[in-house]
Amino acid sequence: TVAAFDSFRFVIKGTLAGGAVYVAYDQGLLGSGTQGAEALKKAQAALPPAIQEWTSYIGWEVRTVQMNTLPPTPKFDFSPSDSWNKGVQTVMSALSVAPTRACEYTVEGWKYVKDLVK
Amino acid sequence: MASEGELGRKWDRCLADSTVKLGAGFGLGIVFSVIFFKRKTWPIAFGSGMGLGMAYSNCQHDFQSPYLLHGKYVKVS
Repeated sequence: TVAAFDSFRFVIKGTLAGGAVYVAYDQGLLGSGTQGAEALKKAQAALPPAIQEWTSYIGWEVRTVQMNTLPPTPKFDFSPSDSWNKGVQTVMSALSVAPTRACEYTVEGWKYVKDLVK
Repeated sequence: MASEGELGRKWDRCLADSTVKLGAGFGLGIVFSVIFFKRKTWPIAFGSGMGLGMAYSNCQHDFQSPYLLHGKYVKVS
């Protein structure tokens, strides 16, 4: 009976583990790159209603001045490549005007010091 | 669809897929660690590593296939 119980326990464990792997496969988490990106978008879309439900279940009431409900969470429409490109452009334009600005500030600073010394 | 934006879209897809695969590998690693391996740490690391490896392979395939269009089969009834 111990052996039967052990094998039964192993079958249960195997079922749980196999079910977890199947759910991951079915949701497209183990597939191609496009499937993974779509799965992430679906999860991001499902997050705000889940948070809303969770907070109402726990019973938190956020009283703001304007409204009685939690403000809607912002939509995650984040594009890492766009943000990176914008960052690179900002840095490069700052670097390109840096020598001119440095000259201007030096001239102004020198003038200020000369005025102080007068 | 601008062609110079296509590289940016590929990078976005790659990063999103890496996040998903890392999370899935981590989660499945936790499941296997709890169920089979007496809550040891190595299945979690193994699962995360497998997820990252799958993501890397997908990204590599995506970047090296410039002429493949991402389509899907539609059954005509």
